Amino acid sequence: MVSTVEKQTELARCLLDMGALLLDCGAEISRVEDTMCRMGKAYGARHMEAFVITSIIILTMDFGNEDAITETRRIYSSAGNDFYRLEKLNELSRSCCASPLPLTELREKLEHVAAGKKPEKVILWGSILAAGGFAVFFGGTIWDSLAAAAFSLLICFLQKQFGNTQIGTAGSNLFISFLSGLGVGALCELLPMLHMDKILIGDIMLLIPGIAMTNSIRNILGGNTISGAVRLLESLIWAAALAGGFMTAMLIIELAV
Amino acid sequence: MKQIMIQLVTAFIGSLGFGLLFGLRTRHLLWAALGGMIAWGIYLWVYARIPELFLANLCASIFAVTYAELMAHLRKCPATLFVVTGVVPMVPGSSLYYAMDCAVNGDLEGAAIYGHKTLAVALAIAAGISFVTVCRELRARRG
Repeated sequence: MVSTVEKQTELARCLLDMGALLLDCGAEISRVEDTMCRMGKAYGARHMEAFVITSIIILTMDFGNEDAITETRRIYSSAGNDFYRLEKLNELSRSCCASPLPLTELREKLEHVAAGKKPEKVILWGSILAAGGFAVFFGGTIWDSLAAAAFSLLICFLQKQFGNTQIGTAGSNLFISFLSGLGVGALCELLPMLHMDKILIGDIMLLIPGIAMTNSIRNILGGNTISGAVRLLESLIWAAALAGGFMTAMLIIELAV
Repeated sequence: MKQIMIQLVTAFIGSLGFGLLFGLRTRHLLWAALGGMIAWGIYLWVYARIPELFLANLCASIFAVTYAELMAHLRKCPATLFVVTGVVPMVPGSSLYYAMDCAVNGDLEGAAIYGHKTLAVALAIAAGISFVTVCRELRARRG
C-alpha cells in the first residue's frame, strides 16, 4: 500500500496527528493506541506499536523492510472534550480501516476535522443550560438558576481568555473560581432573595474535573496506569485550585460583610 | 413528588447542557440527556429504598454506562459520548461546595462529612463505569 520510506514516514506523521487530535478531543488512552495500530495495519504495516500517555505518543511501524519507523510527538493539551471531532475521527478511522484512503486525502481529511471546532454559540448555550439546570437541580429557585446562567457566561469568557495563554488549568481554575465567587457573593448581598450556595454549585459543575477524574480511574483500571495516575493527580490539583479560589472569595465576602 | 419531577427535569436540562458544551451532535443530544435523566431517576429510586449513597450512585452509574454502550451500538459512535452525559447529574458538585463552605467556617466535622460524601460518590461513579467496562471486555473476549 505505502511502499517508499517517504510515504511510510508521512503515514506515521498522519497517524501521530490523528492520535494527538483524538487525545485533545478527550478519547481514552486505549482508544488512541487501538486506533493508531488498526490504521497502521490497514495501510500495510506488519507490526505496530503505539505507546500513548497524556503528554507523549511514541509510534513504531514495521513494514517488513530493513528499518522500522519510529516517530514521537509531544502532546501539550489532552484534557479537552470535543465529541463532535471525536466522532468525526472515529468515522474517519472506521472508513480508513475498511478501505485505506490515499495519503494526501487522509491528510486533507485530518486537517478538515482539526479545523472544525464546535461553534462558540453552542458552548455558550451549553454552559447556560448546564449551570442554570444544575442550580435548580441542587435545590435553587428559578432566580438562582438565572444568576448561575449569567455567571456561566463570565466563566466561558474567562476560560476562552485563559485558553490562549500559558497558564495551566490549575491556575485558571483558581482565578476563575475566585472571580465568580466574589461576583456571586456581591450579587447575593444586593439581592437577598438569591441563594449563594445554589448559584455557586451550578457554576462549580462547569469547572469541576469530574469527567477527567472518572476518565483517569477508567484508564487506571484499564491498565494504563501512568496516564491514569497523571490525570488523577492533575484533576485532584484542579479541584483543589477550584476549592481554593472559592474559599478565598468566601472568606473575603465574610470579612467584608 | 413535585421535588422528584423538578429534579428529573433539571437533570435532563443539565445533561443536555453538558452535551452541547462537549459538542455532541444534534442527533444524539436528546438521547444523551434522556440517559442522564433516567440514571438520576434510578438513583432516586434506589436511594428511597436503601438510603446508602454509594450503592445508589453505583446502581445509577452502572445503568448510565450500560445505556451508553447500548446507544453506542445502536447509533454507531463511541460510548464515551453517552457515558459523560449519563453520569453528569451524579457528579458531587454540591457536597464539594458544602465541604469547602464548612472548612471556611471552621466547621471541620462538617467538612469531613461532606468531603467523605464527595469521595464516596466519585468512587461509586468510577466503580460503576469499570464494572460495565469489565463485563463488556469479558463478553468481547468470549464472543
